[in-house]
Amino acid sequence: MRLQGVGKRYGTGRMVLDNVDLYLAPGEVVAVTGGNGSGKSTLLRLLVGVARPTSGTISGRPREVGYVPEFFPDDDSLSALSYLVHMGRLRGLTTSDAADRASRLLDRLALSGGRRTPLRRLSNGNLQKVAIAQAVLVRPKLFVLDEAWSGLDVDAHSVLSELVEEVAGASGRVVYTDHRQTVGATRVLQVVDGNLVELDTEPVLVTRLVLNPPPDTNLDEPVALPKALSGAMSTAHDGEKVFVQVKRADTDQLLMAVLADGWSVIRVDEPVAVPSGGAS
Amino acid sequence: MIPIVRYTVAVMVHSQRFLPPVLLFVIAIGTFAHDAGTEPVIQIFAPMTAVAFVSAAWMTVALATAEDPVQRSITAVNAGRAWSQLVAVVLVVLGTFAVLIVLLLALPVVVGNRDADAVKLLVGALAMLTGAGFGAAVGLPTSRLVIPRAGFALLATLALIVVFLLIRGLPPVNTLIILLSEEGTAPADMLLPEIAYLALTAAVLAGSVAVTHTIVRRQD
Repeated sequence: MRLQGVGKRYGTGRMVLDNVDLYLAPGEVVAVTGGNGSGKSTLLRLLVGVARPTSGTISGRPREVGYVPEFFPDDDSLSALSYLVHMGRLRGLTTSDAADRASRLLDRLALSGGRRTPLRRLSNGNLQKVAIAQAVLVRPKLFVLDEAWSGLDVDAHSVLSELVEEVAGASGRVVYTDHRQTVGATRVLQVVDGNLVELDTEPVLVTRLVLNPPPDTNLDEPVALPKALSGAMSTAHDGEKVFVQVKRADTDQLLMAVLADGWSVIRVDEPVAVPSGGAS
Repeated sequence: MIPIVRYTVAVMVHSQRFLPPVLLFVIAIGTFAHDAGTEPVIQIFAPMTAVAFVSAAWMTVALATAEDPVQRSITAVNAGRAWSQLVAVVLVVLGTFAVLIVLLLALPVVVGNRDADAVKLLVGALAMLTGAGFGAAVGLPTSRLVIPRAGFALLATLALIVVFLLIRGLPPVNTLIILLSEEGTAPADMLLPEIAYLALTAAVLAGSVAVTHTIVRRQD
């Protein structure tokens, strides 16, 4: 799949993307980084075909596209299961096949709150699971995820990473944005002033930490995390424990800072090598 | 096409946005067909054609944006063809009105109106189906898909409804109502012009889908 000279502007506004060239080879996992409003989401919308380029061409888009948008709407009164069955049928699945696959995916992602509960009564994390499930009901050849990891609990976090690996392993192309992590990406691109810049993907050593916050910390409040954790490549929590990935070089400093803030350390893993890229 | 129609029906039922326009049609049945057992049936069909036009336009406008924009884009990706969503809305509106029209046509028959023969019922069916189809044609390009600001969209819909309802001699809705309300035309002689208006409506409806699709694509 190839983007040639692709530019995009909305209405008469500025060019959000300008003259972007990109080739996506089968099996690639591409992380796209960039600040808020840099055009990451626009790039993803162009890739899946939801948006049309103002200039340039996009060719070779496969038929099987899975798209997880940044915000899944929360006002739908369909249940998770019936929504997924409808989406599966749009893909050409039979009703029973769609229901089977949807159930298996929801089990795998551990949807809580009930698969027959109206979507609007599910929590954001669970809505996100439905959004992911609809994209992989049929294994996509192009899997595009916009901040899909944020808001997921730890288990679903790793299930999503598995799903990404499965798609890539079956010669699919994966493109995702995420604020923190570029882990698992074979390439990291940054959107700078409407252009794509390839970032270094030399592996760096990353340490995984499991921390316990002080009592009465509301982990869903970003401000509850100590400042030191903003130096981490990624953080996630399961409601009690906080899981952190940090560069080997920054590990000691981060540990000292969180200990000083009254946190305790449960586990520190051996450093492992991951592609670097946008992690800073 | 069947999956997207089923999904559109599900969205419609859950959003309940279909209720006000359907209620309008049902209330109009109560108003114009309360003497369905005795009055000449063609007399019922003229105002009901106008009502079918207005309530189908309303329902189309409501259904076109029943889905959240983000969800709409997911649906488009899964369906693979963006225009199929618009066609599904049209089919669901036409299907709903087909049911409503059959209900209305059954009324004089059930209560034993001897004026209700097959030709007259066919005249009524064609007229109201044309009204509903043209309503859908008016509704799509004046929905919030095309005109994002709700106030302007509503004004545009109302303006087109007024134009096609009230400008004398403007086909097909106004001319159909005149055809049905003029005395002296035999019902069998109404069929041919009705078929012409239905064909015209089908063409306009197809054009409306195409134009709406093009504009929506350009905005994305």
